[in-house]
Amino acid sequence: MNPLQWLIPWETSFAIAAVTAITAMLFIKGSLRCKLLFRQKLYFWAGLLSLYVVSHTQIDYYAEHEFFVHQLQSLVLHHLGPFLIVLACPKDALSAGCPVAVKRLIRKVSAWKPVQDSIKVLFHPVTAVTGFVGLLIFWLLPSIHFIAMLDWRIYRLMNWSMVLNGLMFWGVALNPDSIRSPGSRISMMLSVVPPQILIGALIFFAPHELYPIYTLCGRAFTGISSTTDQQIGGLILWTQGAMMSVIGILIVIRKELRQPLMER
Amino acid sequence: MKFLCVALMLALISCNPEKQWQLHEIIGHLPDLHFSLLSDTGQPVTEQTYQGYLVMLFFGFTNCKAECPTTLFRLANIVRRLGDHANRTRILFVTLDPGHDTPEVLQRYLTAFDAGHAIGLTGNEGAIEDIAKRYRAAFRLKKSDSGDIVHSAAVYVFDPQGHARLLITPADTTETVEDDLRHLLDSFRP
Repeated sequence: MNPLQWLIPWETSFAIAAVTAITAMLFIKGSLRCKLLFRQKLYFWAGLLSLYVVSHTQIDYYAEHEFFVHQLQSLVLHHLGPFLIVLACPKDALSAGCPVAVKRLIRKVSAWKPVQDSIKVLFHPVTAVTGFVGLLIFWLLPSIHFIAMLDWRIYRLMNWSMVLNGLMFWGVALNPDSIRSPGSRISMMLSVVPPQILIGALIFFAPHELYPIYTLCGRAFTGISSTTDQQIGGLILWTQGAMMSVIGILIVIRKELRQPLMER
Repeated sequence: MKFLCVALMLALISCNPEKQWQLHEIIGHLPDLHFSLLSDTGQPVTEQTYQGYLVMLFFGFTNCKAECPTTLFRLANIVRRLGDHANRTRILFVTLDPGHDTPEVLQRYLTAFDAGHAIGLTGNEGAIEDIAKRYRAAFRLKKSDSGDIVHSAAVYVFDPQGHARLLITPADTTETVEDDLRHLLDSFRP
C-alpha cells in the first residue's frame, strides 16, 4: 500500500474529522495569543495526532480485525493520547482560541448548580478511578465486545467513551490543583494498575477464545492464530496500561520535587 | 443523543428474557442487505434480486483450501434439509478474489455444491470492499499469487425482507442452524 493510502480513513466519521479539526484550530489560534512552551505544543500535537491516526486511518481496519491491534488502539485512545494532551496543559490556549460567545456560553453552563454538582461527582478521585477501570472492563466483557465490534455505532461509542474517559481521568490525576493532594493523585494512578494487570492476565491465560468475533469477521493477519492474537492483546493490557500509571506517578513526583525550588 | 439511544438499546437487548434464537441474533446491529454486484451468470444483481428469499451471505474465494468448501458443503446440506423451504432460500457466495474468480469460475465451483440455490457474486474491488465493510468482514486485495487471502468465518442470515437477523458460526451444529432457519422462514410465510 502506498504510504499516503494509509491516511485514507477506513470508515469515514464526520464527528472525528470535525472534532479534530476544531480542536486543532482552537489550539493554533490560542497558542498565538498565549505563550506556550515548546514541549507543551509537542505534547498536544503528539496527543491529538495519535488519537486521529488510530481512529481515522487504515489502522482502524486492523483494529477492527485483530484483537491485539484493537488493544493497541485502546491504549492510545484511553491512555497515551489523553495523557499527552493533559500533559500539555492546553486549557488556557484552547480557551484563548475560543470565540467570545462560546466562552460566555461555557461560563454560563458551568456556573449552573447541577452542572457544578455533576462535575464535582465525575471528577472525584473515587468516581474517576471506578469509571476508568469500569469502562475498560465493560468494553472487554465478551458479550459486549461481540456487539461493539459488529455494530459500527456501538464501536464508535466505545472509542469516544474511551477518549473522553481518558481525558477526564488523566486530567484529574496529572494536573496539580488546590483540591486534590499529590498523594491522592498518585493513589489514583496506583489503584488503576492492579485491575489492568488482572484483566490482562485473565485474557492472556484464558484457555479458550474469549473474542470469537475476530474469527467470525476475519482476522487481518493470516499468520497469527486466534490464541496468539488473544495472548498478545492480554499482554499489552497487562504491561502497557500499568506503565502509563508509572510514568504519570513519576511526573507528579517530579513536579512536586521542583515546586519548593520554584517557590524559593 | 444518538449514542445514548444505542447504549439504551444495548442495555435493553442484554436484559431480554425471551431469547428464541439459538444462533447469534444480530437484528438491529448490522445494516439491511444492500449491494450491487455481478452474479455467476454475468448478470448485474442487487439486493432487490433476492427480495423474498432467506439469504445466507458469506465471503470467500474458490482457491480456498479448507473453510470455504466446508462452509459451502454445510450450507448446501442445510438447504437440502429444509425441504419445501429450500426454494425460498439462497446462498450468496461473495468472492474476495475478483481477479481470479470470474463469473464462469464461480459458476463451475458452486455447481459442485448446490447448483439450484448457491449463487456466486463478483464485481470490481470497490463494490466488494463496500459489501465486506458493510458487514464488518475482513477484506484486503490479494497482492500476489502466493499471498493468502483473509476472510470471515461467519455466515450472515437475512430474512426475506433483507433485514440482518442471525449469524451462523462454524461452532453451530447443522440441527441448530436448520431449526432457526425453519423458524425464520415460518414467520415469513408467503
